[in-house]
Amino acid sequence: MKRLTLWIGLIAIAGCGRVHTEGPVEVVYWTGWSGDEFKIQKQLVEKFNSTHPHIRVRIVCQFGNAGYEKVRIAIAGNATPDVMSTVWADELAGYAKRGVLLPLDELMARSGRSLEKEFTPGLRKSLRIDGKVYALAVTTNTSFIVYNKQIFRELGLDPDRPPRTVEELDRASDASVSMRKDGAIQRFGYVPNNLLTWVYVFGGRWYDPKADRVTANDPRNVAALKWMADYYRRFDSQAVRRFQSTFGNDATAQMPFFQGLISMWATGEWASAFLKRYAPDIEYGYFPLPIPKGGNPETTYCNGSVFVIPKASRHVREAWEFLNWLTSPEQVAYFCSKIGNVPPLLEVGDDPAFLSDPIMRFAVRLTRSEKAVGPPPIAIWPTYTREIARAEEAVLAGRRDPKVVLDNLQARMEKEYRRSKAELGQ
Amino acid sequence: MIGRTASERAYSRNGVLFALPWLIGFSAFFAYPILASLYFSFCNFDGVRPPQWIGLGNYRELFLEDDLFFKSLGNTLFMVAFGVPTSICFGLGIALLLNQKVKGMAIYRTVYYLPSITPVVATSILWLWLLNPQAGLINLALQHLGVANPPGWLTDPAWAKPGLILMGVWGAGGGMVIYLAALQNVPAALYEAAALDGAGMVSQFRNVTLPMITPVILFNLIMGLIGSFQYFTEAYVMTHGGPEDATLFYSLHLFNKAFFDFRMGYASAMAWVLFLVTLACAVAVFKSSIKWVYYGGDLR
Repeated sequence: MKRLTLWIGLIAIAGCGRVHTEGPVEVVYWTGWSGDEFKIQKQLVEKFNSTHPHIRVRIVCQFGNAGYEKVRIAIAGNATPDVMSTVWADELAGYAKRGVLLPLDELMARSGRSLEKEFTPGLRKSLRIDGKVYALAVTTNTSFIVYNKQIFRELGLDPDRPPRTVEELDRASDASVSMRKDGAIQRFGYVPNNLLTWVYVFGGRWYDPKADRVTANDPRNVAALKWMADYYRRFDSQAVRRFQSTFGNDATAQMPFFQGLISMWATGEWASAFLKRYAPDIEYGYFPLPIPKGGNPETTYCNGSVFVIPKASRHVREAWEFLNWLTSPEQVAYFCSKIGNVPPLLEVGDDPAFLSDPIMRFAVRLTRSEKAVGPPPIAIWPTYTREIARAEEAVLAGRRDPKVVLDNLQARMEKEYRRSKAELGQ
Repeated sequence: MIGRTASERAYSRNGVLFALPWLIGFSAFFAYPILASLYFSFCNFDGVRPPQWIGLGNYRELFLEDDLFFKSLGNTLFMVAFGVPTSICFGLGIALLLNQKVKGMAIYRTVYYLPSITPVVATSILWLWLLNPQAGLINLALQHLGVANPPGWLTDPAWAKPGLILMGVWGAGGGMVIYLAALQNVPAALYEAAALDGAGMVSQFRNVTLPMITPVILFNLIMGLIGSFQYFTEAYVMTHGGPEDATLFYSLHLFNKAFFDFRMGYASAMAWVLFLVTLACAVAVFKSSIKWVYYGGDLR
């Protein structure tokens, strides 16, 4: 008798999984946002659930980098969620070319959506891989420089005329430098980093889509790196590195710009909120990345996390309904205004609520520039960006020759790209 | 099976049944992944699509073409060669001090043990600031002691690994507890006999204490070895392999290959090479231990 009850119990438990319950379809949504941003995503999900009774979205926080790494494992195990934002724009081509993401073109056409008409140029280029749209976004970003007007005034620089060319930037930066008695740097101007973006400003590029080849050692790339290296050559490079290592996180009051330790700060649209919170007394202005002769004015590189629907999604229709809703102007406006990000939708960028903040207005303008670029649509881009950072460090810290380092990078990436194309059967 | 009674059979069957959950877990989550990774190491496998057999291709690339393979292996061997002995010496040193009869000893022991129960990530963030070359407490202290040009630690390729070893010493309390237990197991009679024979402190330590705790030193050596070969978290959190690849440890390079480059097959090959290197070192240490480890009651 006891045994019989046990068997009945076991069968009942096993059966539970298969019983089809009437009710809303569950859509699992992995988000890479955490903290306050997660809270706002959660509010949006709750709003969606209450207005769409036939769908229940379950939001799962995949905090930190581990969440992004988990995506690969989930895909390998065919256990992906139905929607996820745990994919960097950087990685999109790698996933899309492996055929694990659902192209969104048909769904978008059916819902009357259009990448070209709705989204900002930088994003537009990176969300489309091999002619198909594989992702949508609810935020975008940009980079520019914020400067301290008080310091400019003290140094005799015109506080209302920020640098426009790299030569002017060099002069303003060098004028800002002051040293301590022991040779340590007390204040610096602009500490150059982020070769990846500066290359575009210098008119160079990392990949040539027409010839389908990597272009790491393009002469303009070399010029950009040489220019950065000169900053470290003009001063003791160890001293610059030591000074840099004292920099606190951007999101804290220890940020060197808030402390008056640097006169110029390469940052993004979040600057406005941080300045208000941590350094309300600093009188500041801002300007796009200055250009050399023949460079690209108002260049910006847009990365960020994007929303995809994996091919393994079990509820594509419902997943799209949610994604379509989440990327609609009303929700994007709400999310971006709450977290202070640049909206990727042109319509939202016109919203007076965004245009009231001057930095945000400026950021919106930059993301709308046709010069805005996104990650090139090649599968090796995450590897490539890591190698770009290593090359940058080898030159800036290791004092190696920019041309030699970029030639070496070119050779390695050419090989890696060949290998990757062969592996993907392209 | 011959000549066993029904009750004996039932007994062993029940035994297997009780062990079954573990056996299933072991095969599914341990044995299978290990064997699968061996298979993947001979494949082109991106972790997403089905693996394709390429024979020794990954191993050939690893040894002949990957310039970071030797660099990262060298970085890891540095940690093994210098980090392990350093932490053994400090662990043992602290244990010897904490084995004295002083008032409030329990508090000291707790204080020294405390760092080793702090999560590695928290420790790493803390040390990021302690080791800061311009604003860090360590360099401020060194400057007060008259060092005009204290090291750049994690910003200087030559000092980055020593900086991490220094941080490891702070966590030597984990080994200390084990040494402490071993020290207290050394029979007092041996010290008394040694004292009667006229042995001083140093002589007692060399001829009584040290031989008696060699099994524990061996244990810590092997565990330290295995741990150091897998050195990862600190570099992942603090330096991401920089400056100039000085802290690009083998495991970090492997991780990059697996999770940035979509090269699970290649990373599996790397893992097997690491396994063989670690195994060779562990076997060598075990072989040598016949000469220097003394188990109570044995004749040397």
